Amino acid sequence: MKIAAALVIVLALVIGLVPQFTDCQSQGRALTLQNGSTVPMKCHWTAVAEIALAVPLFALGAVMAFSRRKESKRIIAGLGALLGLFVILLPTALIGVCASSMMLCNSVMKPTLILSGILVIAISAGTLITSERQVEQFA
Amino acid sequence: MNLGQFAWSNIKGSAFRSWVVFLCAMIVAGFSLSTVLIIRGAQDSLRLALDRLGADIIVVPEGAETKVESALLMGKPVKVWMPQENLGKIARVPGVAVASPQLYLSSLSNASCCAVSDMFMVAFDPKTDFTVEPWLKHKLGHELRLGEAVGGSYVFTPEGEENIKLYGYFITLKGNLAPTGTGLDQTMFMTFETAQDIARISKTRAEKPLEIPPNSMSAALVKVQPGADTRSVALDIMQQVPGVTPIESPDMFQTFRQQITGLLRGMLVILSITLLLSLVLIGLIFSMAANERRREIGVLRALGATRGFVFQSILAEAALLAVDGGAVGIGLACLATYLFRDLLMRSLGIPFLFPSLPSLVTLVGGGLVVALGGVTLAAFIPAYRVSRQDPALAMRE
Repeated sequence: MKIAAALVIVLALVIGLVPQFTDCQSQGRALTLQNGSTVPMKCHWTAVAEIALAVPLFALGAVMAFSRRKESKRIIAGLGALLGLFVILLPTALIGVCASSMMLCNSVMKPTLILSGILVIAISAGTLITSERQVEQFA
Repeated sequence: MNLGQFAWSNIKGSAFRSWVVFLCAMIVAGFSLSTVLIIRGAQDSLRLALDRLGADIIVVPEGAETKVESALLMGKPVKVWMPQENLGKIARVPGVAVASPQLYLSSLSNASCCAVSDMFMVAFDPKTDFTVEPWLKHKLGHELRLGEAVGGSYVFTPEGEENIKLYGYFITLKGNLAPTGTGLDQTMFMTFETAQDIARISKTRAEKPLEIPPNSMSAALVKVQPGADTRSVALDIMQQVPGVTPIESPDMFQTFRQQITGLLRGMLVILSITLLLSLVLIGLIFSMAANERRREIGVLRALGATRGFVFQSILAEAALLAVDGGAVGIGLACLATYLFRDLLMRSLGIPFLFPSLPSLVTLVGGGLVVALGGVTLAAFIPAYRVSRQDPALAMRE
């Protein structure tokens, strides 16, 4: 359980930090409007939204390390899977990233988030399976 | 308790040792599969690119061979020119069935006139073309009209737009070709007429006009007559048309082939070292475990367990860990190679196409066999030694 918790914490850090250095804004790219002002590309908003997922995921990892009860493990696993799903959906469906495969947000940020999301879901599934097999011992 | 359950209880009983073996199997299987996927993907990609070009010989201006190969394989735009009159000379060479001219152009970089930056564009002559035209007739049912283009799998119309803006000119994307994993996936194909129209319009609408030197072409694709020897036709072209270099289809992309061979050698060396170290580590772990469990195994033997059972239980333990670790390693390798394929292509400088599902299943099977074989082999000697020991002696230690 402690290994799973440590992995979730590392993945939360990856999900929160990697997009901040691989979105187009961090590479100095922005959309120029006709009036000359610049606005961030959509990958930047994905990067910002991923922070909102990384923070609860980090907390979830910390709670996971100290959970003993079957019921709490079950809830943590469910929440983890849901967060993992949203980690994948943000760059693929909900907000998206820039379409060109030559851009860092498309070639690095998006695959990193998809891979991290899949791993979070897999760890959560593993936690759920082990919690279901757990035999509770009452004092 | 059967053999599998006994092996599983041993795995759970020594978590640290099991994790180390699991991780070794994961690394060996994952790394072997990644190596094979990358090399196989690069080779498949080269083959598909050659099929897509469909020419027996590509005639390029002298000294521009590497530039043209880079453009076709990696999508790096190139500007090379030779006189159009060369086409007639090439077509008259004995053994040449068709010679079709192509213009290699590129979009501007980060210009407001262009929706796509630094895109490789190929203009062809629909009257003589034999590479894109057959696909167009099959898929669209007609030739490309003025202002129309087809693109590789990565060419797309920007979100919310109906056309692709290039040099201030609006191009309608009529379809996408199947992916090849090469620069052809980022290439736009159009007719000479459209290219000339873009050049005309760009003078007034683009930040920088598209310049096509008059009576010029970038390359000529040649199809030889059935039965004609491609090598001798290429030699004749070289002798009869000055200032050009004919590249035969099998000799195409030699630079990239060498790069892939170099990469393969490097990866095989790293793979061999990883495999060797993992096998030694796993062998050591099982030796240590066998020594730790001498008394336990002695008791087992005294209770009636045969040498075969002891031997098989240790090998079953190794096999279970190998299959589990191998499966995780293979899953991660497949996922990472698939998701990061664009980054791999760019950072390694090679084309890459993810293998088809049947091919992938074979490779996954191969990866599992490597993990299973490696771990079982490493555990074989310790298992054999511990199963041969005298139970009475083992229990007294």
